Amino acid sequence: MILTPGIIARLAVLGAVVVIAQVVCFSKMDVFGSDPDVLLLVVFSVGVMGGSLTGAVFGFSVGLLMDCLLLETLGGFALTLLSVGYVAGRYRETVGRPTRGAIPLLGAAMTLLGALVIAAIQIGTGVDANVSFLVVRDAIVTSLIGAALAIPVLLGVRLVVRSALVDERRAARRPTGARAVETP
Amino acid sequence: MYRKQVRRRRAVLLLLVAASLTLLSLYYRESNAGPLHGAEKVVSTIFSPFQNGADRALKPVRDLVNWFHETFDARGDKASLEKQVASLRDQLARQQTQQQEAKELSALNELTSGGIVPDGTDPVTARVVGRSPTVWYSTVTIDKGSGDGVRIDDPVVAAQGLAGKVTQTTPNTAQVTLITDADSAVTARVTPGGATGVVEPNVGNPNDLQLDYLERNSRIAEGQMVVTAGFSTGNLGSIFPPGIPIGKITRASVEEQQAYQRVHLSPFADLRDMDFVKVLTIHTGGHKK
Repeated sequence: MILTPGIIARLAVLGAVVVIAQVVCFSKMDVFGSDPDVLLLVVFSVGVMGGSLTGAVFGFSVGLLMDCLLLETLGGFALTLLSVGYVAGRYRETVGRPTRGAIPLLGAAMTLLGALVIAAIQIGTGVDANVSFLVVRDAIVTSLIGAALAIPVLLGVRLVVRSALVDERRAARRPTGARAVETP
Repeated sequence: MYRKQVRRRRAVLLLLVAASLTLLSLYYRESNAGPLHGAEKVVSTIFSPFQNGADRALKPVRDLVNWFHETFDARGDKASLEKQVASLRDQLARQQTQQQEAKELSALNELTSGGIVPDGTDPVTARVVGRSPTVWYSTVTIDKGSGDGVRIDDPVVAAQGLAGKVTQTTPNTAQVTLITDADSAVTARVTPGGATGVVEPNVGNPNDLQLDYLERNSRIAEGQMVVTAGFSTGNLGSIFPPGIPIGKITRASVEEQQAYQRVHLSPFADLRDMDFVKVLTIHTGGHKK
């Protein structure tokens, strides 16, 4: 991803809009007893398209905004989403662009990673009440929802940052009908 | 070149992780009046108009998704009514929303006008505009804040019973920590009978609460009601007025009562699906000074 001031502005607006939508809408939805974590999937998508550095910075920024809007412990969501953005970016840098089949699996894995990090932070900051089995069930259901929503969210984010994607630019430059020949 | 990129990536990652951990640590240590809490409130205040607008604008979408979920649960009935429901879906979603809001507000008024509101308190009706996406944070954000007289520790009731207390305020929003939060503890009384204990959560399971620290010889049966005890000893007093319904006893085995002095209850208030709450704002001269 080529980061120009315009793309950074687009990512900032995307982050703010998705954080607000997550807090007021997605978190209040009831899907099989859980709710979709679209914000986490957006961070995953930015990580996959922009790399580990972009993913980590984007995740940290939107996580911080999420903490502020929920008036929760500052740094909790920031650390969670930073981890997701970084891991998603590293996947892209080491394995390559994920295939259609891999995206849902990665979406589920990232959602599970987010649930684990937030659980670790909670336990680390001293939750001293009994933790029910429903926490595990919630993490599994949220991961399945994450798998189902990963492709649509990735396509949505791709639309927003399309002009900055190197792959898209190459495709646009390629003449119609020409055979794909990559030159170094 | 590649090594330089790797070094830069690692440096930024370390910086961000260190920033997150520092924020977590500082935030946890400082009081509510600290600079981090202050900065958080400023950001929340700036975004609250957008949050309120988005909450109203996106409510039909939310209701539609929730409606689908409820419909899935009742799929036995759905088959025969599918065609009819499809044509009436939008209209029905709108009507149900209005009806549910009216019903909830009416039940809320009924509860607070039933003598549970002590003298000197002024119930403020608020709309729930935000909720955390994880089961770890049992908090909601409401659209009334310190500008409306809402203060930290004010009790909050939902249509069917106690919901929680105010834990953070900004001029036009407030954070309500629910009774299912890990930090919550409410002194309570079982009626009839009068046995007292402390209601504590079962984290991650909003449908189960525990009434702990019961006297060993108290005998409690399923179906009994639990209300706030509202004790007062000298200068020390519960922030919750007495008599607010909390829940109904669902499990009360003799063994658990004798071994752990504990019974289980389910809250009356539907804490995962409430749109309106009332904050019992307390003025000077009220039950708590």
